[in-house]
Amino acid sequence: MKKILALVLVLMMAMTSVAFAEDITLRVWVGDNNDEAWINGVIENFKAAHPDNNYTIEVGIVSEGDCSKNVLADPEAAADVFTFADDQFNSLYNAGALQEVVIDPETVIADNAEGAVAAATGSDGALYAYPATADNGYFMFYSKEYFTEEDVQSLDKMLEVAAAAGKKVGFPLSNGWYIYSFFKGAGLDMVINEDGVTNTCNWNATDTEIKGVDVVEALLAIAQNPGFINADSDPFVAGVKDGSIIAGVSGTWNANVAQEAWGDNYAAVKLPTFTVAGQQVQMSSFAGYKLVGVNPHSEFVGDAMDFAAFMTNEESQLSRFELRGQGPANKAAAASEAVQAAPAIAALANQAAYATVQRVADPYWTPAATLGEIIANNNPDGTDLQTMLDNTVAGITASALQ
Amino acid sequence: MTHAEHISKPSRKKIVRLTIRHVVLALLAAFWLIPILWLVLNAFSVDKGPNLSHFFPQAFTLDHFKNILLPGGDSVNQFPRWFMNTLIVGCFNCVISSAFVLMVAYAMSCMRFKARKPMMNVAIILNLFPGFLSMIAVYFILKEFGLTNSLTGLVIVYSAGSGMGYLIAKGFFDTISKSLREAAWIEGANEFTVFWKIILPLAKPIIVYTVINAFLAPWMDFVMASLMLNSGVSSGKTVALGLFAMVDKVNRNNYFGEFCAGGVIVSIPISILFVIMQKFYVEGITGGSVKG
Amino acid sequence: MSMTQQARGRRSGLARAFSSVGEFFAGTAEAFRKGDAFTRLSALISGAGFIARGQIVKGVLKTLLEALIIYLIPGFILPNLSKFGTLGTVVAQKTFDPVTRKNVWNNYDNSFLILLFSVMSMAVILVAVVLWMKNMRAAYELQQTQERGKHVNSFRDDVEALLNKRFHVTLLSLPTLGVVLFIIIPLVVMILIAFTNYDHDHLPPNALFTWVGFNNFKSLFSMTAESSFGYSFGHVLAWTLVWSVLATFTCFIGGILMAMFINNRNTMGKRFWRTCFMVTMAVPQFVSLLLVRNFFANQGIVNTICKNIGLTDWLFGIGAIPTANYIPFLTNPAWARPMIILINIWVGVPYQMLIATGILMNIPADLTEAARIDGANAWQSFWHITMPYILFVMGPSLVNQVVANINNFTVIYLLSHDVYVTQNQYMANANASEVDLLITWLFGLTQDRQNYKMASVIGILVFVVCAIITLLAFNKMIKGDKEESFQ
Repeated sequence: MKKILALVLVLMMAMTSVAFAEDITLRVWVGDNNDEAWINGVIENFKAAHPDNNYTIEVGIVSEGDCSKNVLADPEAAADVFTFADDQFNSLYNAGALQEVVIDPETVIADNAEGAVAAATGSDGALYAYPATADNGYFMFYSKEYFTEEDVQSLDKMLEVAAAAGKKVGFPLSNGWYIYSFFKGAGLDMVINEDGVTNTCNWNATDTEIKGVDVVEALLAIAQNPGFINADSDPFVAGVKDGSIIAGVSGTWNANVAQEAWGDNYAAVKLPTFTVAGQQVQMSSFAGYKLVGVNPHSEFVGDAMDFAAFMTNEESQLSRFELRGQGPANKAAAASEAVQAAPAIAALANQAAYATVQRVADPYWTPAATLGEIIANNNPDGTDLQTMLDNTVAGITASALQ
Repeated sequence: MTHAEHISKPSRKKIVRLTIRHVVLALLAAFWLIPILWLVLNAFSVDKGPNLSHFFPQAFTLDHFKNILLPGGDSVNQFPRWFMNTLIVGCFNCVISSAFVLMVAYAMSCMRFKARKPMMNVAIILNLFPGFLSMIAVYFILKEFGLTNSLTGLVIVYSAGSGMGYLIAKGFFDTISKSLREAAWIEGANEFTVFWKIILPLAKPIIVYTVINAFLAPWMDFVMASLMLNSGVSSGKTVALGLFAMVDKVNRNNYFGEFCAGGVIVSIPISILFVIMQKFYVEGITGGSVKG
Repeated sequence: MSMTQQARGRRSGLARAFSSVGEFFAGTAEAFRKGDAFTRLSALISGAGFIARGQIVKGVLKTLLEALIIYLIPGFILPNLSKFGTLGTVVAQKTFDPVTRKNVWNNYDNSFLILLFSVMSMAVILVAVVLWMKNMRAAYELQQTQERGKHVNSFRDDVEALLNKRFHVTLLSLPTLGVVLFIIIPLVVMILIAFTNYDHDHLPPNALFTWVGFNNFKSLFSMTAESSFGYSFGHVLAWTLVWSVLATFTCFIGGILMAMFINNRNTMGKRFWRTCFMVTMAVPQFVSLLLVRNFFANQGIVNTICKNIGLTDWLFGIGAIPTANYIPFLTNPAWARPMIILINIWVGVPYQMLIATGILMNIPADLTEAARIDGANAWQSFWHITMPYILFVMGPSLVNQVVANINNFTVIYLLSHDVYVTQNQYMANANASEVDLLITWLFGLTQDRQNYKMASVIGILVFVVCAIITLLAFNKMIKGDKEESFQ
């Protein structure tokens, strides 16, 4: 009896969906306004691919870096589909703000790079987001006008060249995301714990081959180099435009800016080595992805999943690369010739060997940024370096529950 | 007193003093005006981002004004929509808030009833709490009524508690002589008539002051607005929210010129308001703050 | 008034409040005891006594209000208040229905809404009880009026009273409703949150939060490297106080000096100068602050100029700045704090100048004239006549301004948000920075960390600080009620 009833229900549903085009309203958040041309194209294609339904899809702009903040402020009011950088995955996942991918997760897993899928998988082993790009990492941009390919292998050499030219090499030192590359490069670690809300960190280690204090000393030397400037994305762009910065660490989102400013001299390469405790050490980095999540509170959660899958399929990822220069997570798209030929993507691929997937709990960011800021200011209070690192580690490993 | 009198027979010492006085004033004025000048220069500059290497731009253009007044489909720049939204909220807030303020001020100043002192004390205590503390709860109340992401909700947010800001208006009403009201009572006027026909016409300065403040609130505020308008959809924003997004980390290097142009455009009606209302405005504040 | 006298005065005020509440209860009881059948029936059907005595419209309206409140009990008041003790027990769960392609949610509890609606319910109950007692007394009074054979007000009379003797009810009801609904109730809710664990790990609707007593207050006053809220609170509070006092008095004195300077009879083109300074008022504050922040950015125009004229290198040479690349106007505590105060002067002085101009014009001319005849120089006349007069006029509003500056979110937030990275590790671990005021710290905690419980604790402490300042200041400044002295 129950089965028959269910069957009737399904039939009725099927009939109604054939008979009437359903009105479905979705809201999607993309990272910045440069994505708009791309997302509007995707929306047109999506509507064309689903002529049965009457879709109204609104686009909102919420920075990928601030997405979790905006979602968690009121999960019910957040967009049905939103884009975020994978560092927020845990935060969103733990707050239950991500819908498990229950419509055809196999395709998503099969189509996208392994690391990207891993970044979108919750601690219960299920898939909770759709990989959108595989380029949320950083590498070195430089102008061939000043640097040879050999120069850019070593940070010391780059700083020397820049200082001699009266120009700067930019690095966002007061930013936890970037400063990680020095510590990890020197063999010190910072990883998230299994609980998903706290970190383990040994940046203050004294029993390792390269001690934490050695790294800080190396950084202090770098920060005081006349060829160095502490520049986050925004001043980096400004510096590149006005010609004062001739090389710097940033990501694909600034590729177009650098290319415009430097023209034929534009080049990108994996991160260089730096000197610490008398050795040359390769800088590490965070390898990151941009993910698309679906809001479980969405009224049309099924259609939201359809749209999320569509905006991260091969075609959409390719068009995103073409319009925005962002590296695809989709394996087929990443293998395409055009993608392979882009210097920024190549640099990122070369850096991949030294990169770790970014899995970080919230308490990491502020203490790490503060450590960078102190170093950039040449340790103004003269704090003992070991104490400084101990404090940083205490903050990074603190329980989020305080 | 005329200036001519004093300048007609100047001693040398006096001339030196006068010169120093005006040079100091000019320096101070420069200190105050240079950032504003920079705002205007950036609004007319060919640079998209803030010009970093030169104070004066290399070339001038009206592009930023054109972009901001006639935007395309770009969601970072929906200025005309924002302007309309803010104007609507401003007008409604202006009417409701001013009415509330004047009503409360009259009741507290001119009438005597049992709950008067307790209510005034409660208002003083409430004013000591940081307003933000309750923002989130206000948000959820409005959400229950389905009023978030709507201009109606925003009007409510700005005007609902406005009765608390009655002090300055009350101070002004306190200065209006009681004999006027008494005379009206003798002629048989009721309290409403006194309020409407006698006190309000006399309270022009404070009405202007209240109205300007209420009208300007939505142009200045971005905290409440960002909380209430959280859909991320650009066309629903207010001017403050929209301009704020133009100079965030992502957009600053591309939209600074338009931000400045927007700032200049918003400043024009406000300046006009100020110039016209300056006299009343000053009388309003000073009259009212006699009692604080 | 001496302290003891004042304390006595206050105690008697409190006693008076209690006795009037007592009277209120006694009156209600008396109404019930001495009332006739209709008056007593009003306890059940609130309009009964009025309808029976001819006040039909009034009676019907009262009954309708009662019906509305009773209607709210099963649907709103009971379900929420019954969960107030736990703030909910049913965690949200969902299953995806592949047929409808929608999520099916269980009937879960939302702790925040339970808290909010419980507070609203309590407010409704409180109002209902007061109204009920008032109603009883009114019904009894009406009975007495009728018994004495006096005129019973018609509905028309009542309406007219609302425009005359009871005009304050008409004036105040809507504004009060607004304040209760959008200020008092939210405030109570947020104060209660200080006693819960509402934070990033307990975010409704997907998770529940519950009562934790005074734990959050304890963690505010504990101090370890991991939990440095106590340390940060001390530092942020100190800077908040310094800032509020400096910001208020620099603007106040700056405004007066500037007004006097411009209004001096030797100044030519007064209107022109005044307009110059008022231009900054015309630009909305958030625009001018965001502008100034870019103006003084590390890679901003001022830094470029300073670099070009060699100022940056010179400052680096004497060790005033940590790098030779730029002057950290807004990114280094030693520079940022004075800069923020300076910028606040830039923003605030024109406004104060305007007010001071108005006040200066109001100074009775004979006062200054007399002083001049007595041979007082400009300084003496300023110090003994102008200043006391201004202080007399502006004193109370100065206190208000100190309190307003404690809560001055805009200036600090717009100048430091996204720009300032703290160099103090303990503060960093509590998400605070050297330039944070309590209020911006609170805001950051809610926006960046969803740490609502600590934000609420800080908010309560901000209130305590403001209350202490206000009490101290007003005790010193305000002697008696001058309210009617001008009328």
